[in-house]
Amino acid sequence: MFNQPISRRESIKRIAGFSAAAAAWSWPSIAIPGQGASGRVVVVGGGFGGATAAKYLKRMAPELAVTLVEPNTRYITCPFTNLYLGGIRSFESLWHSYDELRQRYDVEVIHELATDVDVDGHTVELASGTRLAWDRLILSPGIDIRWNELDGYDEAAAEKAPHAWKPGDQSRLLRQQLAGMKQGGTFVLVAPDNPFRCPPGPYERVSMVAHYLKNHNPSAKVLLLDAKDGFSKQGLFMQGWAEHYGDMIEWVSRSNDGTVIRVDADRLEVETEFGMIHAADVLNVVPPQKAGFIADRAGVTDASGWVPVRPDTFASALVDDVYVIGDATQAAPMPKSGFIASTQGKVAARAIAAELTGRVLLPEPSWANTCYSLIAPEHGISIVGVYEVYNGQLREVPDSGGVSPMGADPLFRQLEAEYARGWYAAITQDVWGTPAS
Amino acid sequence: MQNIRLIAMMFGLLAIGFTEPVWGWQRIPEIQAVLAGTEPRMAGVRLEVPAVTQDGSSVPVTVTVDAPMRADAYVEAIHLFATRNPSPELAEYTLHPLLGRASLSTRIRLDQSQAVVALARTSDGEWLGAVESVRVTVSGCLSRAGTYTSDNHMQVRVRVPDRLRTGQVGEVRTMIQHPMETGLREDASGRVIPANIIEELHVKWDDQPVLRARWHRAMAANPYLLFSIAPAQSGALSMRWTEDTGATAEYRAAIEVRP
Ligand SMILES: Cc1cc2nc3c(=O)[nH]c(=O)nc-3n(C[C@H](O)[C@H](O)[C@H](O)COP(=O)(O)OP(=O)(O)OC[C@H]3O[C@@H](n4cnc5c(N)ncnc54)[C@H](O)[C@@H]3O)c2cc1C
Repeated sequence: MFNQPISRRESIKRIAGFSAAAAAWSWPSIAIPGQGASGRVVVVGGGFGGATAAKYLKRMAPELAVTLVEPNTRYITCPFTNLYLGGIRSFESLWHSYDELRQRYDVEVIHELATDVDVDGHTVELASGTRLAWDRLILSPGIDIRWNELDGYDEAAAEKAPHAWKPGDQSRLLRQQLAGMKQGGTFVLVAPDNPFRCPPGPYERVSMVAHYLKNHNPSAKVLLLDAKDGFSKQGLFMQGWAEHYGDMIEWVSRSNDGTVIRVDADRLEVETEFGMIHAADVLNVVPPQKAGFIADRAGVTDASGWVPVRPDTFASALVDDVYVIGDATQAAPMPKSGFIASTQGKVAARAIAAELTGRVLLPEPSWANTCYSLIAPEHGISIVGVYEVYNGQLREVPDSGGVSPMGADPLFRQLEAEYARGWYAAITQDVWGTPAS
Repeated sequence: MQNIRLIAMMFGLLAIGFTEPVWGWQRIPEIQAVLAGTEPRMAGVRLEVPAVTQDGSSVPVTVTVDAPMRADAYVEAIHLFATRNPSPELAEYTLHPLLGRASLSTRIRLDQSQAVVALARTSDGEWLGAVESVRVTVSGCLSRAGTYTSDNHMQVRVRVPDRLRTGQVGEVRTMIQHPMETGLREDASGRVIPANIIEELHVKWDDQPVLRARWHRAMAANPYLLFSIAPAQSGALSMRWTEDTGATAEYRAAIEVRP
């Protein structure tokens, strides 16, 4: 951190004028004579943050040796798993491969779990015992569940009451349970307090579950027990629920005793803080979360369980030469979204490429996020945020962003649903090179 | 290397955590009035607040005083302050040894990033304290409708253990539906909504007052309080909430105490 030349940073500012509106991601660069050449970067986690960082490092500085460590041979997105649950998207359509990173960008991809980090020795240890050396390390491990923080919710419980909040097979399990639910049954979703991955996620999920049930199990109920008194795009969701699903979805806020404090996965029951017992036929628990464990191993997390970062580069605030991006970070007011994780990946890649090559890279990425949610297949809504670094901290640009209007006409909602699908196609093409289908 | 990391860590904390001054809170008149010239010992109080919160309208706070709760030595009072709110006072609690433990959890409002101060007075007159800073960010993704429905105004929810063993400390959870209008908010037509808050929660064990909470306008809507009780024999816990209009709500529950 101390070797970050402030003067260079200043010069970037002057040249680029910090233009957020700068053109697409092409990489004009200005060489600073006398700075060294190549370096090794290891990226842990091939999700939205990590895969983006690996690719953009090679785009900006092809001479760097970039290794991506990711246990899974294919990545399954969380975005659009709700659509899969709703029966309007196939599971396979959520899969993405690492072929483009390997073949086109010459990233070395190792399918293993990283088990430890030695920050003094600048190495990362893999499950097989292999050690990888790095000059800079990027961690994008996403979230881990805080098992047992919610009494009774451990790994075994998640096999009966799935969370489906991490990429992978949990969403398939939940989908099977939903399809097998008895007629007139109750789907219960337990939503956590902030901060958690994808703030609008639980609300899109119950929307898509209700869409499925409306067609296959119309007398069923959806009960959303919430540890919060408000949520992202609340007005738009509630209006959409009433419009499409009548009173099928019931939302119980914290102040109406929505906070769940105990889960009994064997009996499919939950208990609220004031002692109500709710029985479920399908129980979906979105549990409390923290940064993926490898962040702890690297010593970059703080007492909150998340990772404090320097907002202009996403370098760890605690450990030199380690960068952390994505859901693992404490980047509020940025939400924990795939969109922003990918942007952070570009920011970190740019900072590292500049540091290791001595070149000044243009332009600044624009720090915007859009979270689309589908309430019904042809009813999309969105929220946009634009961010900046101000007084050394991230903030939302005043009077920027906003949400879809209330009471818009069906065509407007349909267009937003179209944009949501376009967003998914565009970002997965950008990150993993998946061709639009 | 260890040293460098330590320095880096301090540097990191300075850059990230403490841009809001946690210093100077002793000069806040409301705090000076409570301390009346005494110097608190900044020890013995654990103040748990999130370092960063995305929702300043309801920030969880837990204060635990590491001191006995015996008839001859106990924690008499706990005060909470938010240093940069329009009015710094949050709450004052008067405690009785029957609570068994000097630990309270509640929810507060924070107008902006700032330090929260907890002060506790023991029965021998000593002041203990703790300060923690909270960074408040406003996340668009978390923007809320901001409406409050009042069809269950002053409805209370309480959870009390049915039975306890002698010497066991039981947990009591309470919440009352209330907007806790600050008097600083405007309605859609731009008129100031007058202040309207729950001012007090008074808890008795049989006839003995055991806890009195005085609340100010920066307590979060739907005031929430978690406290403990350690009765020596069976009896009843009764609670009364009082609104600034004089309206009250009550709740009573028996607890069986067995050896
Ligand atoms: C239901 C749902 C819907 C969502 N919808 C949207 C949406 O519409 N739009 C949006 O922008 N975001 C959405 N999100 C959020 C999005 O999924 C996350 O914000 C995003 O995945 C974060 O990216 P990441 O790189 O931080 O973590 P991830 O994408 O989770 O990637 C982490 C990767 O790291 C790997 N990993 C972890 N630990 C290790 C280790 N020790 N060694 C090696 N590899 C490791 C994991 O296998 C994983 O592949 C949604 C989330 C959910 C749950």
